[in-house]
Amino acid sequence: VYRNNNNMASQALTYDGCNFFRQRLVLSTLSGKRVKIKNIRSRDDNPGLRDFEASFIRLLDKVTNGTRIEINQTGTVLFYQPGLLCGGSVEHDCNPQRSIGYYLEALLMLAPFMKTALRATLRGVTNDPTDPSVDLLKSTAIPLMKKFGLEGEGLDIKVVKRGMAPGGGGEVVFTCPVRRTVRPVLFTDPGKIKRIRGVAYSVRVSPQMANRIVDSARSVLNQCLPDIYIHTDHMKGANSGKSPGFGLTLVAETLTGCFLSAEMSSTPQGQGDPVLPEDLGRDCAKLLLEEIYRGGCVDSSNQSLALLFMTLGQQDVSKALLGPLSPYTIEFLRHIRDFFQIMFKMETQKASEDEMKGGDKVLMTCVGVGYSNINKTIK
Amino acid sequence: MQVTKHQQKHSGPKAEKKLKKQGGMAEDKDERKRNPKAFTVQSATRMARTFHRAQDLKAKKHHIPFVDRTPLEPPPVVVVVVGPPKVGKSTLIRCLIKNFTRRSSEDICGPVTIVSGKKRRLTFIECSNDINTMIDLAKVADLVLMLIDASFGFEMETFEFLNICQVHGFPRIMGVLTHLDSFKNSKALRKTKKRLKHRFWTEVYQVAFYLSGMYLGISDSGSEDLGRFISVMKFFSLALIMEDLTDPEKVRIDAKCDRTVSLYGYLRGTYLKNKSQVHIPGVGDFQVADVSFLPDPCPLPDAQKKRALNEKERLLYAPMAGVGGVVYDKDAVYIDLPTAHVCQEQEEVHPTTELVQSLIDTHATLDVKMAASKVSLFTSSATLDLDMEIDKQKGEKEGPQENLVWDAKTQRERRRVVFAEEEEENDYSSGSDTDDGFDGGSDQEGQEEEDECDEEEEDNLSTLIKKARVKFGNTEKTVTVSASPVKKQKIEEVKDNRQLFELPVFADSEDDLEMSDKESGNSKKGEEEREGHESDFGEDDEEVDVKMDKGPGDQEDEDEEDNDDQAEDDWDDEEDVGITKTIEKNITSKHRTFENEEEEEEPCFVTEGSFQWKEGLQQKASEAFLRQQQATPNLRKLVYGTGTKDPFNLEAGNYEEEEVGGLFRVSRPHDNKKHWTDAKDCSRFSPDSSHNWDIGEMLKSIRDCFVTGKWEEGQDAATLLKEDEELYGDFEDLETGEVHEGQTGSDEEENEGERLVKVDDEEVQKNKRLEKKRRLKERFDSEYDDGEATYFDDLKEEMQKQADLNRAEFEDADDETRVQYEGFRPGMYVRLEIPSVPCEFVTNFDPHYPVILGGLGSSEGNTGYLQMRLKKHRWHDCILKTRDPLILSLGWRRFQTIPLYHIEDHNGRHRLLKYTPQHMHCGASIWGPITPQGTGFLAVQTVAGAKVNFRIAATGVVLDLDRSVTIVKKLKLIGYPYKIYKNTCFIKVGKFQLTSPA
Repeated sequence: VYRNNNNMASQALTYDGCNFFRQRLVLSTLSGKRVKIKNIRSRDDNPGLRDFEASFIRLLDKVTNGTRIEINQTGTVLFYQPGLLCGGSVEHDCNPQRSIGYYLEALLMLAPFMKTALRATLRGVTNDPTDPSVDLLKSTAIPLMKKFGLEGEGLDIKVVKRGMAPGGGGEVVFTCPVRRTVRPVLFTDPGKIKRIRGVAYSVRVSPQMANRIVDSARSVLNQCLPDIYIHTDHMKGANSGKSPGFGLTLVAETLTGCFLSAEMSSTPQGQGDPVLPEDLGRDCAKLLLEEIYRGGCVDSSNQSLALLFMTLGQQDVSKALLGPLSPYTIEFLRHIRDFFQIMFKMETQKASEDEMKGGDKVLMTCVGVGYSNINKTIK
Repeated sequence: MQVTKHQQKHSGPKAEKKLKKQGGMAEDKDERKRNPKAFTVQSATRMARTFHRAQDLKAKKHHIPFVDRTPLEPPPVVVVVVGPPKVGKSTLIRCLIKNFTRRSSEDICGPVTIVSGKKRRLTFIECSNDINTMIDLAKVADLVLMLIDASFGFEMETFEFLNICQVHGFPRIMGVLTHLDSFKNSKALRKTKKRLKHRFWTEVYQVAFYLSGMYLGISDSGSEDLGRFISVMKFFSLALIMEDLTDPEKVRIDAKCDRTVSLYGYLRGTYLKNKSQVHIPGVGDFQVADVSFLPDPCPLPDAQKKRALNEKERLLYAPMAGVGGVVYDKDAVYIDLPTAHVCQEQEEVHPTTELVQSLIDTHATLDVKMAASKVSLFTSSATLDLDMEIDKQKGEKEGPQENLVWDAKTQRERRRVVFAEEEEENDYSSGSDTDDGFDGGSDQEGQEEEDECDEEEEDNLSTLIKKARVKFGNTEKTVTVSASPVKKQKIEEVKDNRQLFELPVFADSEDDLEMSDKESGNSKKGEEEREGHESDFGEDDEEVDVKMDKGPGDQEDEDEEDNDDQAEDDWDDEEDVGITKTIEKNITSKHRTFENEEEEEEPCFVTEGSFQWKEGLQQKASEAFLRQQQATPNLRKLVYGTGTKDPFNLEAGNYEEEEVGGLFRVSRPHDNKKHWTDAKDCSRFSPDSSHNWDIGEMLKSIRDCFVTGKWEEGQDAATLLKEDEELYGDFEDLETGEVHEGQTGSDEEENEGERLVKVDDEEVQKNKRLEKKRRLKERFDSEYDDGEATYFDDLKEEMQKQADLNRAEFEDADDETRVQYEGFRPGMYVRLEIPSVPCEFVTNFDPHYPVILGGLGSSEGNTGYLQMRLKKHRWHDCILKTRDPLILSLGWRRFQTIPLYHIEDHNGRHRLLKYTPQHMHCGASIWGPITPQGTGFLAVQTVAGAKVNFRIAATGVVLDLDRSVTIVKKLKLIGYPYKIYKNTCFIKVGKFQLTSPA
């Protein structure tokens, strides 16, 4: 007789604090392990979960079936028992406190393991200064996922409407096919950067803003590479959201198909000092140079996505050369160890004297857990 | 009348003439040459079709390539010996063991591992008649020896086991006929063998069928042959449905109620991670608390160039059987073999545990002996006696009939399989020569093969068969009445024997006790040493602290030191986790251990240090992360070494709340850590502010990242161009007639060439041309041969590369580190500690039942609705009813559940069925443990005893998993019309009862 023993096997993993909230819930959903998060802003004047976190939980609830969520009265303790990922057509109004990128980063991790192909329509803030914007994810995360064998029909992020912080009003459609397994990868050669592309966007401001951004960004980047093309994207009317703003996303593509990116966006209306488009363009270009200095095959904001797919791969060795690990990634690695018992082998590659290729790199190696999509139906 | 022929001419005009004539004739005969038009393509479509067909056949031969993940040092091959009772399973195992190890073992109880060759170990497990055991063992077997009593015929158990195998992934199966000596008639023997073999073939195709004449109790040439066959047989990595498994061989009791059990065994299948979930069939799901690998108790002999194994290398390891005293400890396994080839050097033994061990051992074996004594009843008197036959046949059935036969000798009912055709055949068996009756079509195909096989077998077994022929006598169905219920007496006898046998074993273990006493001193020393080590590590930690505090200025010096101490550092890392744990414990028990502070002073100090270091880390992480990474020579320490604690034991490590004097609680609301845990959840990596990208220096530092920068040797555009020019440099402008020559020779060479002798020059030119040709050819090949290489070839190559990478990646690392990255490799001998096991597991432990630990995937510990495709087994008597409890064997698990049967209608809805269809698949939905789709399962109605004809009720496969499922039910509602409009009528239904079946 099958018994679900009330022992260690069914005990939840317990964490403290609201940081790395998404990581914990996403890994919990993928691994099927329960999670209990305690002391969420318990010392704060305004304790408990924020609206955007609640909105995130609601989104998870929409893409899963059978998820059990328990939150205490003050919202400082969350218990999450994951259900099965079902996917399908999902519409979600994201809380404008965080941009859609916040929600999309998690969805990117979950989407390949749904029961049916995901088609998520997310509404809210498309670009804000804190989170990776939708444009950035479109130009870096999507090609990264393709390398893990997730290509095929309909892996795409489409910006239908643009909405700047704080008002929002943007709309993004994310579609992703389902896969049974993820392929192991070998990203050891970043290759040389062959071209730089970008999008300078502006909404509810003068269309000239975008051109000014492009000019200043080019002035910096032209010293390195001649092949630079930055689109200007000015959205009008219904597609321009509720708040004015502008920004720039830059992507450097290498010969081996790796993408490094940087972005900047204007400060939200009524929050902080306004920025000049020239300054923004120049700073963003410098950010890209910084990113190139860090180097690696995966850019700093997508490190965790790459590491996750390496973990979930077949029981084979995967390797990826990364730049210095971000604090977010380091915590992600710890969480991966908690949820999947996988440890990465990390070897530092020192920058050599005679080659001018930026700072130190880290070669990450792991053996995948042999994860298979248990949600996909077979006929 | 005989006409004498003329001598044939071999030379001369006549011969030539004849030859010409023949040649001419041959030419005429070749229609294709004479009239080629008649043989041109007549139908393009047809040609396309033939081509297509040929390609299809070619593609059919392909198998999906898999990455080869077989371990270099494989675990022992699991050989399961299956068969109905009294067929000679134990005897066979005993014979095989004797054959391989030259040691006789009395009682086979639990798995027995032996070294059978230089590269092969075998684990023998006996499978009892219990269906649970059969199910569990079918899942783990690599090779099944299926024993069939030839004098009796097939019994139901055989077919049940075959069916279980079919569902859970086929191992290699070998049929073994026993009791052949009961045949006195060689013809009858041959016929029986052939008949059984053919029936076997219709059930399982790919098996080797080995017929051996087993002579009871004697290790004869038959078992030798069989043994050789087992050692020679090629094994493929069996695609187990689940992840990994171990065959644990020992249980240790720790506490009274909820037990912590440690299990030992070989790891098979795939990698096992520490703290992963396992399922023990019959017990439940558990999380492994600790895994550690131990030295192999039955190691393979070193790869020396020897033909045969010498006596010492023929190891035997049977911890649960009565072979030698086996002692377990956390770090080692001690086996005391009476013939004095000892596997392991002894280090330390705690006498108490050993005593407990021996007690448990004896307890278990006494129990077992009672049951097992039956098995060892065989005597040399051979013929099997049947008392009476009870015929329980029912009308016509497609499946085989069970024929219950009372066997007086063994005092039990035997479940003979009677096939409809077989019966017919039996009726006129005296006349007809073979068994054409019962495999129909397949028989004709295999006819030739079979005959060949027969011959081979007869060659192999010629000696045996001769023996059998000597005992010529009765036909296959002997019905004699000579039942002699002497069982009880025999049991007693056996018991006595055992006790006698047991005594020396005890003596041995006592010796061990003495030994262990002596060695306890050593062990204490070891502990001291270990403590010493720990304090060393503590110092290391301090070093780290100092480093962190020093800041970036002094780092270079530190780095040098680090390089020197690289090895030590690595060591240190591995221990680090453990140390921090102890440190945490220290803190929690700080006020308690106040008196002992003198002793613990040092570790306490270390704690403080590491604490500060931790805090410093977090602070810095938020400030200048890059710099810190450079400062830390080992990134691993930064990520895994400290800073995290086991989320399962958060309570234990809750060191924030420090009590002072038991009254006040130190509360630090603006703690750095708190700040960190409640920080903003953002994946963005803020840039290093120290980099100023306005300065040319900085830009210069990333210059080579762009295509405009400097390239590596060999990839340089200049060298590439040059190569191209050498190849394609020469061309002639056809319009002007101008000849351009590539600069292959280069000017200097040309100048030199003038000075050289002309012949040499030509030779040089020739060589150059050849060289050029060769390179052109290479290029051409690489361009056009890729088209030849199919997708399949590419895939295979890719898999091969991956396999090589997997092998190479961690090859050089030592086992301790390897285990952390990869997990425990298959083939390792491991010790698993499992907490909170119900005590029934320990109290009812019987080594005859295998304990299997099946690894579970990440989300397989949860439950949900499983939708399955199910078919009632064609040999099962009755159809199955919805909501009738059923016991499923799914994945590693065996559990009882209540299925709902349904069928999919045309509109896609699932309509509930009250009963399963007779001969069709239907859907079934159960609430059960999440198991990956595509997993096969089988269902039985009861596991206790054999009450039904054929125990396996249904088989099927998991299709879908979800947390909710929709099944619709057709309801009939009866009522009376109470309102009638033009075209509408409202009907009043009395009572809406959901509970009543519609």
